[in-house]
Amino acid sequence: MNYAQQLKKLNLKETHYYKQWAALLAQEGIKGSSQVSVDVDGCFGIFEDQRLIATGAYQKNVLKYIAVDANYQDGKLFNDIISALINALSQQGIFHFFVFTKPIYRKSFEFVGFKLLAETALAVLLEAGDVSLQQFIAQVPRLENQSTRMISAIVMNANPFTLGHRYLVTQAAQKSDFVYIFVVSQDVSLFTTEERFKLVQKGLADLPNVVVVPSSEYMVSYATFPSYFLPESQDVIEYQTALDAQLFKKIATQLNIRQRFLGEEPFSKTTALYNKALQANLPPEVIVEVLPRLETAEQVISATQVRKAIQSGAIETIRTFVPATTYQFIKQNQATLQVRIQKGMQVDGN
Amino acid sequence: MEIKHTAIAGTLESSDIQIMLSKIEGPTEIELESAVEKQFGTQIRTLMRTILEQYGITNVKLKAVDKGALDCTIKARLITAIQRAIDKQNDPDWEVLG
Repeated sequence: MNYAQQLKKLNLKETHYYKQWAALLAQEGIKGSSQVSVDVDGCFGIFEDQRLIATGAYQKNVLKYIAVDANYQDGKLFNDIISALINALSQQGIFHFFVFTKPIYRKSFEFVGFKLLAETALAVLLEAGDVSLQQFIAQVPRLENQSTRMISAIVMNANPFTLGHRYLVTQAAQKSDFVYIFVVSQDVSLFTTEERFKLVQKGLADLPNVVVVPSSEYMVSYATFPSYFLPESQDVIEYQTALDAQLFKKIATQLNIRQRFLGEEPFSKTTALYNKALQANLPPEVIVEVLPRLETAEQVISATQVRKAIQSGAIETIRTFVPATTYQFIKQNQATLQVRIQKGMQVDGN
Repeated sequence: MEIKHTAIAGTLESSDIQIMLSKIEGPTEIELESAVEKQFGTQIRTLMRTILEQYGITNVKLKAVDKGALDCTIKARLITAIQRAIDKQNDPDWEVLG
């Protein structure tokens, strides 16, 4: 920044700033959001003579809406904005950052220390900070002779773990030497990450060739696949799922995962699109197999129904849907779970 | 001495350097990205190692994005990052600084 330029925190709820901000994004061809107040945790702008010439924002640890006026694009303002965002996040104790952007901006981010995670024709995903994909892959438990075994993987949110999930895992365990269960680490579901992880572990404790691993931020997280958790349009879901799939392929190759199992998805549109993207992007390196859902006498088992039963206080009705460990947990924590629902936790999302 | 948590100092502006320190198991690692890597890469790494040793910092990963900072800037940024990482930003270690 030169002396005529000034960095400011932007409050997008103020119409005066919002208008300038939206105009700059539109000018630089970036699609802004109509509901920014929920969409962004913090936003910065650089002004020259009261005019906004560069901006950037963040939501959790994802950098967003980064734009620099075309008349000032020599790289300086871009670096200033990224610095401001990183400093703001680090003051909150966040030291691991992601960015989704168009392929043409990849170099600009690499130039300030970001590393490429995944790319498609439409978008790239990069990260920077104190942990990295390689560190994550290095700490995943390994088997002896991993490279000669038939290894498969399942990624699940398991909110909470049901007999449907267990059925999927047992099928996979029969068809392969070893199965990785990656439990989604993003903590935005009715059951907390810790609860979900423990219930998966307990519910699969008797299967010797299954290991349960946290997915970290590299699978189905706010960074790789935000629309799994937030409502989004179909084209956004499509490009995000493609990136998530590309990233999974990168991880799978290093862990020698040759197959990924998916549960058939009759209910959630987002999950159905995700399954489609995996089928389109993972082969030939990783084979995708979709397994039909487990059906009890009357209906298909789903975690959504379990959550609805908790909401309505009718947990007896889902007793046959879940392993004893999950049922016991729900019974003991029914009140806490209901409070979370009353406080606004969605039961019919993911 | 091990650092307490990750810390960051500096910016990505021209003539500055952004330094991040984080805890690792194992010996100190330095990951430097610099526009002047060819000319000054070795010198910058040596300087960083020296400062870390003066503070007795071990088991740390140092990631730096250098935009052509002078040695004095690098030193200032690294000292700040260290002080933040050991929660001593308001209580500098004068003996080391001298």
